[in-house]
Amino acid sequence: MLEARNISFAYNGTAPVLESLSLQVNRGEIIVITGPTGSGKSTLAKCLSGFIPRSIQGDFSGSVHIDDVNIADLHIADVARKVALVQQDPESQICTLQVSDEVAFGPENYGIKIEQISDLVESSLKSVDSDHLYHRATFELSGGEKQRLIIASMIACRPDFLILDEPSSSLDPRGVLQLQHILKDLQEQNIGILVIEHNLSAVKNIADRILNLVQGKIQSFTVPDRISQTKNIIRTPDVSNSPLVTIKNLNFSYGERKVIDNVTLGLQRSEIIGLMGSNGSGKTTLIGLLGGLLAPDSGTINFKDRPLRKLNTKETAHHISTVFQNPNHQIFEKTVWNEQVLTLKVLELDTTDMLQQCQTSLERAGLAGLHDRNPFSLSHGQKRRLNVSSIAVHGPEILLLDEPFIGQDVEGREFIKENVMETVERGGTALIVTHDPSFVRNNCSRVIFIENGAILLDGTPSSVFERLEKLGYQEYTDMGVQP
Amino acid sequence: MSSRFGYVKNDTILHRLNPALKLFMLISLMIGIIIYPSWRLSIVLLLIVFIGFRVAKVPVRLTKGRTKFVILFSVLLLLFQVLITTNGVLLGFLIPQIGDFGPLFPITDFGIVRGLAIASRFLLLIFSSMFFVSITDPTLLAHSLTKLRIPYRYSFSLVIALRFLPLFDLENHTVRMAQKSRGITPEVAGLRKIIRTVQYTFFPLLVSALSRVDSLSMSMDGRGFGYSSDRSYLRNSSWRTTDSLVAVFTLCFLVVCILLALGHLPGLAQYI
Repeated sequence: MLEARNISFAYNGTAPVLESLSLQVNRGEIIVITGPTGSGKSTLAKCLSGFIPRSIQGDFSGSVHIDDVNIADLHIADVARKVALVQQDPESQICTLQVSDEVAFGPENYGIKIEQISDLVESSLKSVDSDHLYHRATFELSGGEKQRLIIASMIACRPDFLILDEPSSSLDPRGVLQLQHILKDLQEQNIGILVIEHNLSAVKNIADRILNLVQGKIQSFTVPDRISQTKNIIRTPDVSNSPLVTIKNLNFSYGERKVIDNVTLGLQRSEIIGLMGSNGSGKTTLIGLLGGLLAPDSGTINFKDRPLRKLNTKETAHHISTVFQNPNHQIFEKTVWNEQVLTLKVLELDTTDMLQQCQTSLERAGLAGLHDRNPFSLSHGQKRRLNVSSIAVHGPEILLLDEPFIGQDVEGREFIKENVMETVERGGTALIVTHDPSFVRNNCSRVIFIENGAILLDGTPSSVFERLEKLGYQEYTDMGVQP
Repeated sequence: MSSRFGYVKNDTILHRLNPALKLFMLISLMIGIIIYPSWRLSIVLLLIVFIGFRVAKVPVRLTKGRTKFVILFSVLLLLFQVLITTNGVLLGFLIPQIGDFGPLFPITDFGIVRGLAIASRFLLLIFSSMFFVSITDPTLLAHSLTKLRIPYRYSFSLVIALRFLPLFDLENHTVRMAQKSRGITPEVAGLRKIIRTVQYTFFPLLVSALSRVDSLSMSMDGRGFGYSSDRSYLRNSSWRTTDSLVAVFTLCFLVVCILLALGHLPGLAQYI
């Protein structure tokens, strides 16, 4: 049994993240831990896997035991052989260039004989349905394949317990289903599994217990069959005027790989559009093209009948705002306030009125009082809210959001939704990349589903979801992100 | 991105060479052109590197923007040397005498030779490093360095660097897109603007790199990295007869460069 006994932890000089927390994980059991952003879920994972207090400094008390042995008495490598941690971003955890090397990395470090390593690599890859990836290069893999690779490389060390931090965050619904099967298989191999997850619908079917971590304390949690989300009044798109954006025969390739294939579409005013599709289908690239950040190989994008490429950088930023997947890529200033007003300053819109709006926006984002904080020191959810607040405050006509709800709790999701609604009420358009059908059903007037860079379906959520089910994509219609 | 910078898997004679030997060749080449800075030697080596790209069936992965930068920077290096080197046979002036004004900026044969030497050395440095990265499997490099009794903790730092090279390249591209989305354009007119441009590029890149370092070190520690002073390897590098021949040839190259630099091979120095 993996057991936390009264553990408390505070990062140096800050309020406690965990307070007298106790938890038991048995072999062959799947426990899901959920909770709001910043509630200490990832910290708990690091405590259970021994990285706190060894690698991460802070005030730690209590103890973690594996089969009644206190892990404080063990070397980190010995703890790692018992408890493996799969962190949130698979890309950052891969340290070699070939799949077989990556899976062999752990057993090699433990000095296991080559013949045994070879068997371990094959069996671990097979456990995650990835034996076909054996000779592949790690950088060629999709997000889902990388996630499975990291799980394989962890279980190659034959741990008794596996902890996964937000494993569904980089997966499309098909990848989530595959993850569920893998975790069930590992459970049958008597591995104790602890999953930290915002997206409960991704794992609730396989969980033996679901716990809620709130303000550093564990509570039991029962998930209703379907958590209801507020259904907003969906505005009717304004088709009386010409489209805000018109795209014709758009093509884009990365080298020889075609990513956008002859896309033609129009974005009307007052539309909230959900952009859906599998990982690697071209959603992010389409956002980049629409935001004027990438130049198409061929085809045209017109903004209000004017070619987008004719707009200079500032004009484009004035009319179109983009939020990227990784909030760190979009933070440039040293304080939260400077970051909030950056776009206004660049666009020379920093009037007293606008600065007052910045203040209001920060308050709504739950960032009031953090003006002088370094934005990089904020939590993932706070950074994302700052991104949205800073790019939307000047009132752009088009809002392009790339998976904005990943890692967001209820408040974060509401703040982002409010910004979307405001843009649309001003007569603008919002295009949101998401895998969350409940968000799409309740908030979007239109869904575009792309596959292999081409538009597969385009219409109202109900009509698109109906067609998706008929086309064998039902997991995209019923596996939503829920708070 | 239009190109991915890093190792390109292939099965050619150059790929099969021992990775540590390839590193030795790269270092020897650098030492050779530093101790004997001849532009003719650099150009010959540059040609050999380009032939190597063909033999190894590896594309020269440079985007349009980078090609422009490399060419522009080499030309600037050449011009700078031509302008600051005043000794040698006078060939003319960049600005001729016009009435009482001038002449200014003398151009000498030595200035041109020096400029060519530095520009070609810069090009050789860029392309030979790219070539090395393209044809060297990092895991086998780590193994071959371990066989040379270099602790694996050090050899793996090379593996990690090569693994993350394409990723940081990609992140750089994303950060530039993010700058554009905020209306920020790189500006270099004035020190303040340069500092701002650097800050807006390096801050997000640095933070992203540091967060990746944290994740990676936990991922490696979590798989027993550093558990023992020794480790096993699933894939091993090998040393073949070809490697011995190439090693001898590389050593000969180094010796010739030293002799040329010491002036012991005046006959050869006329041509190279």
